[in-house]
Amino acid sequence: MAELDDQFETTDSGASTTYPMQCSALRKNGFVMLKSRPCKIVEMSTSKTGKHGHAKVHMVGIDIFSNKKYEDICPSTHNMDVPNVKREDLQLIAISDDSFLTLMTESGDLREDLKVPEGELGEQLRLDFDSGKDLLCTVLKACGEECVIAIKTNTALDK
Amino acid sequence: MVSQQQIEAIGGVLNNKERPLKERFRALFTLKNIGGGAAIEAISKAFDDDSALLKHELAYCLGQMQDAQALDILTKVLKDTTQEPMVRHEAAEAMGAIGHPDVLPILEEYKQDPVVEVAETCAIALDRVRWLQSGQKVDDSNPYASVDPSPPTAGDKSVTELKAIYLDAQQSLFDRYRAMFSLRNLRTEESVLAIAEGLKDSSALFRHEVAFVLGQLQEPCSIPFLQENLEDRLENEMVRHECAEALGAIATEDCIQILNRYAEDDKRVVKESCVIALDMCEYENSPEFQYADGLAKLDATK
Repeated sequence: MAELDDQFETTDSGASTTYPMQCSALRKNGFVMLKSRPCKIVEMSTSKTGKHGHAKVHMVGIDIFSNKKYEDICPSTHNMDVPNVKREDLQLIAISDDSFLTLMTESGDLREDLKVPEGELGEQLRLDFDSGKDLLCTVLKACGEECVIAIKTNTALDK
Repeated sequence: MVSQQQIEAIGGVLNNKERPLKERFRALFTLKNIGGGAAIEAISKAFDDDSALLKHELAYCLGQMQDAQALDILTKVLKDTTQEPMVRHEAAEAMGAIGHPDVLPILEEYKQDPVVEVAETCAIALDRVRWLQSGQKVDDSNPYASVDPSPPTAGDKSVTELKAIYLDAQQSLFDRYRAMFSLRNLRTEESVLAIAEGLKDSSALFRHEVAFVLGQLQEPCSIPFLQENLEDRLENEMVRHECAEALGAIATEDCIQILNRYAEDDKRVVKESCVIALDMCEYENSPEFQYADGLAKLDATK
């Protein structure tokens, strides 16, 4: 239940939004904080070593919210911050005049605190919703930020 | 794939006495990382250099490569009493790192060497090769890309238990090394401070290995201990050298200041170590990706 309750927190409760992980244990497609932004790792390479056997790791990441590219180089034995990322698919019920979404969780609760995402994704969302498609919105939450990062047609519903 | 021509060019940098020592070191580590017969040949050529520091690093790299093709040159260096003790020591350690049973008779012979660092190294290397031969396995969580002179201690032991073995002069150096590598793998402040106590041991060989391990750990809490041994002009120069290079790996502002003070030391090996260590500080504190950048440098000169 604790996990479910977490999902309804609207502000940071002080629980850590990141946890440390040794750089060498990070993997491509995993998450990491680069330049204080939560990123998904899209590229990773490890340098050769010198006398003490130390290596540096070069990482390229894409900001999970803004899609901006960041990179960093870190000694392989140092700790990096990894964001706690929560991912949830919510059913789209309505879009308000001031661009807030009405979304329904699996347990049937409604939330109306997320806006239509910016850019192409937002346009596609409005278009698909207006044409009567049942939409699932993928909501990502990390580091106190939360937004819709993808939409898909809900195939679980009987038409 | 690295071509024969590239290897020869990097070997040319390593063997060129006109080039700055730090550049020759980077070329050496590039060859170590490339590996293979041609790289071993290029490295072997430099044993006629007049820098003991460079020659000991050649032997170290040949051991880390773990290629039996290097055993001939390493055996020759160990037998050559005109080579400095730290070079012969490193050759013996490298033979242990390669771990081939063929080296047992020669290590057995030089276990009686009058140079104590060489004799002690042969004893440890013998223990390592015999340990490998025994087929024993141990969980080694070594976070560094290094072939260690011994495995860690078997089983889960506390810092207190490990420290008791580590500081006990009645135990074999091999078993004390094992405890040290277990303490290293724990990487807590408590285990690092326990390791630092070994810098007061009576064996110079032991103290030098302690300094190396503290360099791997890169914990600023060990700086005052390394500084003390480096600054002690009566300390064995092999230990002072290893303390300097450890400070180079830790690479804080304090380390840079200390190293700058000894970059003109009257002991050549200490002086050169400080120069190499300062180059390492530069690398650690920069966004530079490769320390062993010999290949990239070749590309840049094309």
